[in-house]
Amino acid sequence: MYFFSASPFHPITLSSVDKALVNNKTRCTMNEKTAPSILTCRNLTVGYKDKAVLSGLNLDFAAGQFISLLGPNGAGKTTLLRTLSRHLDPLAGHIAIAGRPLDQMSAMELAAVMAVVLTDKISPPLFTVYEFVALGRYPHTDFLGRLGAADHQAVRHALAAVHADDLAARTFSDLSDGERQKALVARALAQQPRLLLLDEPTLHLDLKHRVEVMGILRNLCRSEGITVLASLHDVDVAAKVSDRVALVKSGVLVDWGMPEIVLENSAVAGLYDFDGADFDHHLGSIELRGTGNRGRAFVLAGMGSGALIYRMLSKRGFRMATGVLHTNDLDYFVARSLGAECICQAAMQAIDDRALAEARRWLAVCDVVIDCGFAVGPMNQGNINLLNTVLAKGKPVLSLRPNGRELALPADGQIIRCADMAQLLAALDQRVPAMGGGGSAPYPEMREAV
Amino acid sequence: MSTAQQTLSTWNPLILRRPVVAFTLLGGLTAVLLILNIGIGSVSFSPAEVWQAIWHPHLSTTTGAIVWKIRIPRAVAAILGGAFLATSGLLLQVYFRNPIVGPFILGISHGATVMVSMVMLTSLTVGMTVLSPFMTTIAAFIGAYGVMLIVVAVASKVKNGITLLIVGLMMGYLCHAVTSVLTALAEKEKIKGFVLWQLGSFSGFKWSEIGVMILCGGLILGLVYFLSKPLNAFLLGETYAASMGVNIRRFRVLILLTACALAGMITSVAGPVAFVGLAVPHMARLIFQTSDNRILIPGVCLVGALVTSLCDLIARMALSPVELPLSAITAFFGAPVVIGLLLKRSVKM
Repeated sequence: MYFFSASPFHPITLSSVDKALVNNKTRCTMNEKTAPSILTCRNLTVGYKDKAVLSGLNLDFAAGQFISLLGPNGAGKTTLLRTLSRHLDPLAGHIAIAGRPLDQMSAMELAAVMAVVLTDKISPPLFTVYEFVALGRYPHTDFLGRLGAADHQAVRHALAAVHADDLAARTFSDLSDGERQKALVARALAQQPRLLLLDEPTLHLDLKHRVEVMGILRNLCRSEGITVLASLHDVDVAAKVSDRVALVKSGVLVDWGMPEIVLENSAVAGLYDFDGADFDHHLGSIELRGTGNRGRAFVLAGMGSGALIYRMLSKRGFRMATGVLHTNDLDYFVARSLGAECICQAAMQAIDDRALAEARRWLAVCDVVIDCGFAVGPMNQGNINLLNTVLAKGKPVLSLRPNGRELALPADGQIIRCADMAQLLAALDQRVPAMGGGGSAPYPEMREAV
Repeated sequence: MSTAQQTLSTWNPLILRRPVVAFTLLGGLTAVLLILNIGIGSVSFSPAEVWQAIWHPHLSTTTGAIVWKIRIPRAVAAILGGAFLATSGLLLQVYFRNPIVGPFILGISHGATVMVSMVMLTSLTVGMTVLSPFMTTIAAFIGAYGVMLIVVAVASKVKNGITLLIVGLMMGYLCHAVTSVLTALAEKEKIKGFVLWQLGSFSGFKWSEIGVMILCGGLILGLVYFLSKPLNAFLLGETYAASMGVNIRRFRVLILLTACALAGMITSVAGPVAFVGLAVPHMARLIFQTSDNRILIPGVCLVGALVTSLCDLIARMALSPVELPLSAITAFFGAPVVIGLLLKRSVKM
């Protein structure tokens, strides 16, 4: 059963919920039948005293999976994790860990199955990293917490698993954020859990440690068979590491299943109420849609030659039209995410007259034309036609074409060669001054002009 | 062998150099102070006379009476008082994860004072003669625990350490206010005893009280030592401790009950003694270079015993034959410790 909270609902979210209702069976049964469930929620409602934050949760986490919890800030990710780790009592519903009701397990029994990594800032004084990680042996040691040979081995194994062997003798309170996060994960591992809950494990980490920590967590699933449930902010990272994703928003589980199915472009945009940004499913990344109206650029691209140029132009406030692109081209996905006008041709087909005609209409209203220096083959001969047309009309073309890919173009054409992006940018700044100089019309008029 | 393994193998005495050396030195120093406390006093005896009196306890002789009825109980009480107050302070610092708390700072000693003043200054307990020897102890414990409950209730709402400190100070003022009203209303004869008690001194201990303290306090210290594993887990905060298998509810009650019992037991007889519970755990951490409570618990007991023995010796001998209030001496070294901790933000729990 799904409850709908009284808060206003995003249309995309609604359709996703409908889909989730229909798909929950088909999407999840395959796996859950074969692998035993380590964590089960039935009709779970989580929240604080009188305020439900998330309700109607039905989830089954299979052993050895990496599950990401995605959703905007305040959607209840942390509340759900705190309830699953029994730091909060559920408002309603039922949780079972490894087949046993959560509320009937003793603290020790739970600690032997589940470990947590929280966002709480902790800095116990005068602790070496080794001693800190050894605290994770708590459920396995005797009444005084003495460490036996097996315990020392488990601690060393945990440190090795997070690539932190060299940190062992360091003082815990002196660690950097990234090193500290690795030590926290190692402490949880030393507990030898079957289920690991992490709240924002990559928060405050630099890129190196973000990638490293996610890699470590994925390895834990693959090699140790540990189930990892992590709340994450980075959709792109989640899409790449997770076996399952759970999307939460506005008090409900919006969707749940494989990221390859669930994380469609529109679902992600709806989840975070993207405004001026777009998530591309295939690229697995977020692009910031251009909002400027500095000038109108037509980009002749293809075969990946345009992706970086699109981003640069979008960042500098240019409106873009691009073509002719095949619909399987990387350039096509990037340009579409950035909100460029794409003139496209179905994949594996030579560029036809319809596409050329459309491209010419766009070219006519553009302030600058850029040639990305795409490689030429039988399928994109049309783009050379376009270049010829532009040059014949006396319009200058800014060209990034590298040596070795020269084309037989009219000698009188106005080609401005740019050796790299910096030169291209300089040429653009010269032609279309940054603020208001061109007086370009805003976006809709560009369409109307065509 | 790496340093990490060295510090961890706390049960192999060959590897465990630092704690062994520290325990030996501290134990030796405490023994020396115990001997000094017995040997030195406002009435001077030769070492041989004292030696004689210790091994042949005749209360009829002056030496025997002074040594056995005044000096030995007082020296033993100083040792027990230091150990108990310091342990209480350690427990509170771990519980609140705050370096600047202690039984005196949190107003717990003042809470004990209020209840003791009720017993000593009013006639509420008239007729309860059976309980009278332990009346002040029980009252001190109830007072300590009452204030503690209030402070814990406030601490659960505010996480800020400084706020907690201010709450403790305010509780201290409130308790002090009640005590002064009671003093104003009390009969003259009762006031003198109470005022002397309030100054803080290990002089008033009778052998019966010391017996009770050794028995009960020993049991509680034993219990506290067995709590050292969950105490260590608690250093990571309540949430992590719970996730590692600590039964938080039971542990919380145990930690607060034992801390109050230890502080209350000393306060009831010795009066409110400032700063020992706060400063000694920090001294012990510095000496032992660890936060491991399995080492710190015996560690604070020894350091506490040493500190109070020294303070008591100074209190008695500095301006002999006038005796200085014990709290004044402990404050002289305790207050700088607090100021130092506040200024040095890097000291965290």
